[in-house]
Amino acid sequence: MPPFPMLRGRFLCTQSSTFFFNQSSGGRRRPQWPIKQVTKSNFSDSLDEIKNHISNSDFVAVSLQTTGSYSSPWHRVLPLDTPETAYLKAKYAAERFQILQFAVCPFNVRVSNKLTVNPFNFHLFQRDELKIGAPCYSFSCQPSYLAAMAREDFDFNVCIYDGISYLSRAQESEAKHQIGSSVSSAFVAQTSSSRSVADNVFVERIKSRVGHWISACKHSDTKTDDALVNSLRKLILGGDEYGSRPSLNIDVCSERQVQLVFEMVKSHYENVVPLTIAAKGGGTQSVRVVLTSSKEDRDLLEKDLKNMEEEQSKRIRGFREVIELISTSQKPVVAHNSLNDFTFIHSKFISPLPPTMDEFRNSLHSVFHDIRDINHLMKEVGPINKYTNLPSATSYLKRKFFAPVEIDIPQKASMEECKNHGHNVVRISELFARLCFILKLNPETVNQNPDGPLLKLDSNMFNLGSNGFQETDDISVWTHNPRKISINNLVFLWGFRSGISAGKLKNMLCKSHDVLSEDEVFDVRLVDKNCAVVVFWKNGLSEWFLDAIGSGSGDGLRELAAEGLMAAGYEAYKRVCKSEILGADLAASLAEIDRDHIEESAEVYWNSELMINFDDL
Amino acid sequence: MVRAFSRTLTLVQFYRPSRTAFSTASSSFAIKNVTKSNFDSSLADLRRHVRDSDFVAIDLEMTGVTSSPWRESFEFDRFDIRYLKVKDSAEKFAVVQFGVCPFRWDPTKQSFIAHPHNFYIFPRQEIGGDDSSYEFLCQTSSIDFLAKYQFDFNTCVKEGISYLSRAQEDDVRLQLHSAHEDEPSETPYAAKEFKDVPLVRMADILFVERMRNKISEWHDDLLQIRNGGSHRTQEDSNDSIDQFQTIFFKTRPAIKLNGFTSRQLRLIKSVVEKSFKDLAYIRVNVGLCFQQIIVYTNSRRELELLMNEVKESHFKEAEMKIEAAIGFRHVIDLLSSEQKLIVGHNCFLDVAHICRKFVGPLPSNLEEYVPLVQKNFPFIIDTKILLNASNILQLKMKKSSTSLAKAFAILCPHIASGVDSFGSAHNNSVAVEVQVDDMRSSNWNSGAKHEAGYDAFMTGCIFAQSCNHFGINFTSHSTLMKEDKLQNYINLLYLSWSSGDIVDLKTGQTRTESSSLNGFKNQQSKILFPNIVLIWGFPSKLKAREIKESLTKVFGLTSVTSIFHLDKTAVFVQFSKPGLVSDFLKLKSTIEKKKNDAIYVLHPFSDLLEGGCTGAACYEVYKEICGSPISKPLFADQAEAIAVNLNSKRLESMTHKTDSFSESESAIDTKTAETTSEILDLASC
Repeated sequence: MPPFPMLRGRFLCTQSSTFFFNQSSGGRRRPQWPIKQVTKSNFSDSLDEIKNHISNSDFVAVSLQTTGSYSSPWHRVLPLDTPETAYLKAKYAAERFQILQFAVCPFNVRVSNKLTVNPFNFHLFQRDELKIGAPCYSFSCQPSYLAAMAREDFDFNVCIYDGISYLSRAQESEAKHQIGSSVSSAFVAQTSSSRSVADNVFVERIKSRVGHWISACKHSDTKTDDALVNSLRKLILGGDEYGSRPSLNIDVCSERQVQLVFEMVKSHYENVVPLTIAAKGGGTQSVRVVLTSSKEDRDLLEKDLKNMEEEQSKRIRGFREVIELISTSQKPVVAHNSLNDFTFIHSKFISPLPPTMDEFRNSLHSVFHDIRDINHLMKEVGPINKYTNLPSATSYLKRKFFAPVEIDIPQKASMEECKNHGHNVVRISELFARLCFILKLNPETVNQNPDGPLLKLDSNMFNLGSNGFQETDDISVWTHNPRKISINNLVFLWGFRSGISAGKLKNMLCKSHDVLSEDEVFDVRLVDKNCAVVVFWKNGLSEWFLDAIGSGSGDGLRELAAEGLMAAGYEAYKRVCKSEILGADLAASLAEIDRDHIEESAEVYWNSELMINFDDL
Repeated sequence: MVRAFSRTLTLVQFYRPSRTAFSTASSSFAIKNVTKSNFDSSLADLRRHVRDSDFVAIDLEMTGVTSSPWRESFEFDRFDIRYLKVKDSAEKFAVVQFGVCPFRWDPTKQSFIAHPHNFYIFPRQEIGGDDSSYEFLCQTSSIDFLAKYQFDFNTCVKEGISYLSRAQEDDVRLQLHSAHEDEPSETPYAAKEFKDVPLVRMADILFVERMRNKISEWHDDLLQIRNGGSHRTQEDSNDSIDQFQTIFFKTRPAIKLNGFTSRQLRLIKSVVEKSFKDLAYIRVNVGLCFQQIIVYTNSRRELELLMNEVKESHFKEAEMKIEAAIGFRHVIDLLSSEQKLIVGHNCFLDVAHICRKFVGPLPSNLEEYVPLVQKNFPFIIDTKILLNASNILQLKMKKSSTSLAKAFAILCPHIASGVDSFGSAHNNSVAVEVQVDDMRSSNWNSGAKHEAGYDAFMTGCIFAQSCNHFGINFTSHSTLMKEDKLQNYINLLYLSWSSGDIVDLKTGQTRTESSSLNGFKNQQSKILFPNIVLIWGFPSKLKAREIKESLTKVFGLTSVTSIFHLDKTAVFVQFSKPGLVSDFLKLKSTIEKKKNDAIYVLHPFSDLLEGGCTGAACYEVYKEICGSPISKPLFADQAEAIAVNLNSKRLESMTHKTDSFSESESAIDTKTAETTSEILDLASC
């Protein structure tokens, strides 16, 4: 029971009602908020605008419109998923589908519950603008998603003809190599591992060479030699000029050596700036060190280089500039269904998704240090099961709580219905404001108080779906019985008649063995029409059951097994989630994995050590 | 429609200056665009046109062609692999536009009458099943290409005609029938099995009581009227008058339930079933939504009759829905059942798409696929084959490119230019009159290249013109497909145009085009597939030359015949002898086992194996890789993904299998088979 006053007060007549609710073509009511629609043509103008808004805001809400989210019913994140399998499923979707719209809404919440929002909706289409091979070779579409967008009058032509293109960080660095972007001072120094003997020899050699070159340069400054001597010196030292400053090229054989040169230069020579020179095909060809006359001169050079690089990358980055703005602003990012959205964001704008949840969390944290999930906050307020979509969550809060929020949209934008998309991002902001009010969180102080109550939610923001059987409404029986279950007690079952009900399946199992005929031993739920999951309420039974089905001990079970009934533990499910193709039918995928599993049984023991217990999480 | 209209406008402007006196404004009217809204009427017209036609030209626009760069056609692809690549494409991408253009010879006018149709189609799920089978892939470059030619994506998604393949239709039917049979909710006697709504909430209990009273009141009234009792006024129940509406359902008195929640309806249902023997709760379809009613019946027998009636009508409605969901497939069924000559341009992929989208899943090999095509489309002619194989046409084409637009411009200048000149009509040119609805023109040109309907029209014109050059008399022959002069070309399709691989749909035989005009194609005969080894995942700095060097250092200077890059991560290496394949694989795994020995560093292979991610396999593994549904952008990643899934057992059976393609390939060296365990030797990455 939430410790909040359950005021059934009428929602105060606020300004939000001044934005008219129009009867849209689909017959649904849709709020008419002026949301700035951004395409290729007005992108650069909007970029400055949103930059200001982001820096003036407390939070940034984001919401995506993608071409699909799951290929098959079981690909959705189910209550039986661990954070790991949930991540793998989200990763699978993020790698296949594409983002068509990205709504960003910097907003402020004031104590008076005045919500100031500046919603932008970016139309995206990733294409090969630099002609260096498509950054996105192909993507999947789910017709039902496209059809739903079409019903909302989404303009696919605008999106494809005028959508803003972009490159992820990883694609950008690759593209820079390919187009042979000449210089780059931003060499990301990795944590230096221990140096080998060869490394030390190399560093010493380069150090003395740079030292000689510097003294030679300084020496030549004082005396004016004739041209021949100068050119000879150039030839011997390998020196050159970078702009008006003297420079020296150092050939390198590997990225490791690049790193060594950078480290050496930075620690030994104060007024020398190292740059990487990319080879045509990729990789670094050489390092150029530029000598500056003073500390001021060095700063000047570094600034110049930085500006130059920024200009160039702005062209390459495209829409990712907005992501970078949000990232550098360090403002908390508010999302609904953050796991799905941020796997997409990571894979499209940062780099390919790492294989595990932990790596993903770390990598994402380095870009967005603070992510707030509306779904998670909703859980603090009450049972979330039924309020999975934004309008229903909002109306739930309106019904149950007194939380007036006044929405103010200072910007002007076209209210033309067919062109006005991206309302969810305003809904997210509104919901967040309401939740702050209900949870008595003061959004204004959040930023000053890093230990505020909101931050602690982050730690488990991706643990949605990990809390046993209480997430989605299709497992309604178990919502009455929200017990935490170890995944060791789950068994997947398939090979029964397609379309059979869970009840019938349970009956069948009850009759098959004495152990199973007792009350409260196990329960059955369908995952899809060909696969079910059995949960055993007692530890150890699942192993017995798997064994019994496998060996055919016990008459009833043997009969079922003979009829084609198959079973596998959670390990098989995890392996399916990890595989390249999840498969439309879970039963078929489990059977496939199970077959391979038998052939390489050595892995079973190794993996059983790594089993996750729900209770441990 | 808007696009087509604006296109017409611009064309009118464009062509106006060049028009001469006889031209009419009607010569550039819009093509017939068919979407959801005008599909039924267009289909009726099309049926007539196809029935009367001499041949039907088709063309398809897809959302993509290759799901990864290495799935493009390579010189080193065997026939079976070419098929796998086409199959992959047809399975993954969607067809978004389908051009159908029936051509009929009009002997009185001495001209063909063409009826170009441009169908927008979209794989929207209209009925049953799960969504996964409808998911499709888009190749970004293809979408860009469509956008370049102003393809209207909005029309496609919003107005596109959906379809069911025959296989999908069967599935949906099966689902429907099984659902129909065990629909327990419709028979009150089986209702015991159905879970009752537990009455846990006070509100529920009150509601149920109230409903019981209401219904029994109505029930009693009914009986009183029947028994000639006094008519009681119903005004006392005015509060729920709109919720309880008395109607007649199939001549029986009934209550129409309005404005209840689904939970309330479930409660009412259980009340009716428990407390009233002579009332039945049923659900009927009214238009698009369901309507719940309670019907009074005299006897049990009558109730059963009623239930059957309702069941029957549900069934009929479902059947109608399926019929509607078949959608665009009606056009394909029409083409198939009329057995007309189908004309396409380089249409092997198009035909594969048609089979995949409208018939069912594609078989796993070419041998089984060919009869499937034959069964559905017994006569197919490919204008690309025609242009390349016929000497007469080669002369006309003057060795220029045989792309559709180019061929159209060269062979049919009188149509392509949009300006009719009577001079050329005598000069061996076939007249083509275009009819769209009621508008006709003898020099029609919509100019919309890469629009399926117009492309189909161009293809048909090229075919008509080619027949004319062959000296075929359109008037005397009733069927073109029996024409002797076409027998050498009919049912031949390019498996891959670039390599000149041709498949004969009548026999299933494959051959490589023997045309001397294309010198580069002769190389094909030199490729010996058992001699090929596939290497991937080597350091990216290695190029073909370096790889060849390190191989020849070990196996001799003449050991490597050729090297071909699949992409930057993989190469085909053709050895001079098949034995070298297994020798190489054996040696590679030996070296990898002794990775830490000093000798490893000095071995010529050390460059190749640097990084420890280098994999190698024989040609059969390449087939396995191409047959996989996975499509990674880089070949090395793809090979790793497949190789991990592959187990040696399957591989062994694969290598023992004799090939039916040609003698030279069938005998995979016994030595190769012995070393199957090493064929798939992968270094752990």
